[in-house]
Amino acid sequence: MSTSARLRDRRVSLERRATASKAVRTSLVSLAGLIGGQVTNQSGDEVGRVVDVVARLYGTDSYPPVTGLILRIGRRRTFVPADAVGKVHAGHVRLRTARVDLRDFVRRPGEVLLAKDVLDHQLVDVDGVQVTRAADLYLAPLVDQIVLVGVDVSLPTLLRRLGPRRWQARPTPERVLDWQSVAPFAEQATEGPPEVRLRASRAALHRLRPADLADILEDLGRAERQQLLGWLEPERAADALEEMEPAELQNLLREAQPEHAARLVDEMEPDEATDALRDLTREEREALLTRMPKDEAAELRRLLTHREGTAGGAMTTLLITARQDESVAEVRGRLAEQAEHRTEIDAVAVVDGTDRLLSDIPLFDLAVAEDTTPIADLVAWRVQFGPPDTVHADTSLADAADQLVAARASSLLVVDDSDRPLGRILADDLLDALLPERGRLHFRRFLQ
Amino acid sequence: MTRDLDTATPAPQAPAPARRTGWRRLTMIAAVAGPGLVAANAGNDAAGIATYASAGSQYTYGTLFFMVLVTIALVMVQEMAVRLGAHTGKGLGALIREQFSLRLTALAVSCLLLANTGLVVSEFAGIGAAFELLGVPKWAVIPPAAVLLWALVLFGSYHWAERIFLIMSLAFFAYPLAMILGHPHWGAVGHNLVIPHVEANKDFILLAVALIGTTVSPYMQFYAAAGVVDRGAKPADYPLIRADAILGAVFACVISLTIIIATASAIGGTGPLNSAAQAAEALKPVAGQGAELLFALGLLGASALAGAVVPLSASYAIGEAAGVERSVSRSFRDAPLFLGLFTAQIVLGATVAMTPVDVIQLLIGTQVLQGLISPVVLVYLLVLTNRRSVLGPAANGPRYRIAATAVVVGVAAMSTILLVQTVLGWFDLA
Repeated sequence: MSTSARLRDRRVSLERRATASKAVRTSLVSLAGLIGGQVTNQSGDEVGRVVDVVARLYGTDSYPPVTGLILRIGRRRTFVPADAVGKVHAGHVRLRTARVDLRDFVRRPGEVLLAKDVLDHQLVDVDGVQVTRAADLYLAPLVDQIVLVGVDVSLPTLLRRLGPRRWQARPTPERVLDWQSVAPFAEQATEGPPEVRLRASRAALHRLRPADLADILEDLGRAERQQLLGWLEPERAADALEEMEPAELQNLLREAQPEHAARLVDEMEPDEATDALRDLTREEREALLTRMPKDEAAELRRLLTHREGTAGGAMTTLLITARQDESVAEVRGRLAEQAEHRTEIDAVAVVDGTDRLLSDIPLFDLAVAEDTTPIADLVAWRVQFGPPDTVHADTSLADAADQLVAARASSLLVVDDSDRPLGRILADDLLDALLPERGRLHFRRFLQ
Repeated sequence: MTRDLDTATPAPQAPAPARRTGWRRLTMIAAVAGPGLVAANAGNDAAGIATYASAGSQYTYGTLFFMVLVTIALVMVQEMAVRLGAHTGKGLGALIREQFSLRLTALAVSCLLLANTGLVVSEFAGIGAAFELLGVPKWAVIPPAAVLLWALVLFGSYHWAERIFLIMSLAFFAYPLAMILGHPHWGAVGHNLVIPHVEANKDFILLAVALIGTTVSPYMQFYAAAGVVDRGAKPADYPLIRADAILGAVFACVISLTIIIATASAIGGTGPLNSAAQAAEALKPVAGQGAELLFALGLLGASALAGAVVPLSASYAIGEAAGVERSVSRSFRDAPLFLGLFTAQIVLGATVAMTPVDVIQLLIGTQVLQGLISPVVLVYLLVLTNRRSVLGPAANGPRYRIAATAVVVGVAAMSTILLVQTVLGWFDLA
């Protein structure tokens, strides 16, 4: 391909982009530029100024429709419904009628004031996995209504808004997020009916990995954080909480409603839940434990008796045990039922009639064994590798790590004095405990 | 910090989490004794010491009553800041962005940035002055110190360095002792504490504004609020937090008073302070020949401590207001604004601190700048705490509102008088 051809191609594509963005630019209306803009009636006389735009944020629509405008007419603030609005240009609104019927604004379910509640407030950018602030909102005319299509989060847009009025109305859609991929918070908005609360963007929240969600939760303000937790399924939320910085998690559990916090801790893996509870004060801990189902609470209380920094304090109590007389297929079936805990299981403990440990069979051995093989055969085969690797609940983590390295395994069983398995300590929990904290620097570091 | 020695294995040493718990327990008991105290005492940095010492040397006990007024102002201001933090769970930067128009937000943020860059200048000047006392020229010290601080915060584990600086800055706790051993004129001290004394000349006003600036410096409100939010304090914890903020503010001001009195009894009435060595004389009753060394140690610790906290807190507040990533563990590509601001403040601060002007004048000058900007930030704070939509029932009541407004007006009046005098001075009309 010759250079001139390449250059020509480039010119063409640039022109195309320019016209495209021009087309986009002319059809988009910047909300920041609209606020304070002129409102004229059909005959072109000025009626008032735009104070705010009302949109139905919590509804079934994929893009929130504008339901009306709040205007300042003389010294009065009044509401104009969307059907009286004729055309919305950059920084200027034309009404369909010559007379405006003056009504006071009353918030209906699911409605928000875009400038007051959304612009300049925090929102979650699901694709960019970050918490950011809305620098500008863009409206676009659809067939018979005006909808909110996107959010601008770029710094240049902020500078544009600082400039003179002429700049303000000019959209700069360089970094616009599609409304479908953000989760806005509007504290003051009266929530709509619960079934429509899970808008597309909130479904998008469920696409995020737990670690990303944890980052986002750490960045949000208190009210927004609780709102976001409310949107997530408790299981998803618990996964994210497991990834959070201990101190941040502690704050989050403290500020949540006790019932909700108890529900979340209940959903967490036992070892992570124990860590989280350990950081709370006695009263806070009891407040959560008493609101949990009896068995879970009892188990957590038992785990809490182990000291932090010991194998007992970092183990998970989720154990899959098998007996000698079972077949591999039966054990596999039991593993399949525990699919949600897949990250916590990497071996099966084989016990005798009195629950004493005989052997610890890694999943690999189970995976390659025949369905009909009795577990006893696997136990006999494992004997050549020596006795199973176990630690006691009071073994220090440093020792446990040494043993894990020596055993070249990915987990160790924790047993009591009579050799009965209590739980399992996993390599990632050991790493968590042994690596220095590589958290983000908040002010806390300076204050400790 | 003891190490667990019961595991005599050459194993990868676990950072003894049990010990961390102990440490956390400590901070839990003092779940709140901290932000207020630390924030208020961060005011006793290099520039603070210089300003207080200058007040003592120039006016002996003449500024004591004014310091009592400043204490009241500081208590009220810190209380408002932590109240906002505890009740909203948001930092001041975020609150300002959400409650004011974008232009007003930009104004607040620029003021904070300007004031803080001034402070960073004074911290590096302090580091330079400390080394000059030990006989090392400042041009050889400031650039490496700047690079070191910057790298420690971004790549190192700053909190170890921080503990060392903190221990060094404890040297200034020699001041209360020096005050008592220096046998000040107690009658005159008491008299000056309660009898109003204000001079209408320009030098006194300049010093008064510097005293306001170094005590009620703008970044401190941001810092105190952020500290409270970061600890996850809830409205229920507010009584404790308030107690902490008030105690912290009073404690900081008592230390300031002892610095003024100790310096006054040592070199009072010798006119304006002209060198760090002269300021160190106040510590002679305690350390004798080692006074300069002790003073240098304290100056170095306090300056290095604030040299990282101050630029970080401004970057943090601005990042919060702009809504961008703010964390030192991010790369420059991910958090350009936050890390860029942090770097820029350190570079600018160190560069200005290198200029061959008189270090004491430079230190006091930066505090005057703080004092001029302080009322602007205070107005934001006042408006926010007055709003029921922000604080609900915890908003300022009518009586508190009057008192707080009086404080802000008082601070603003001092700054305005100074500005007017300065402008008139340019035209030789004063």
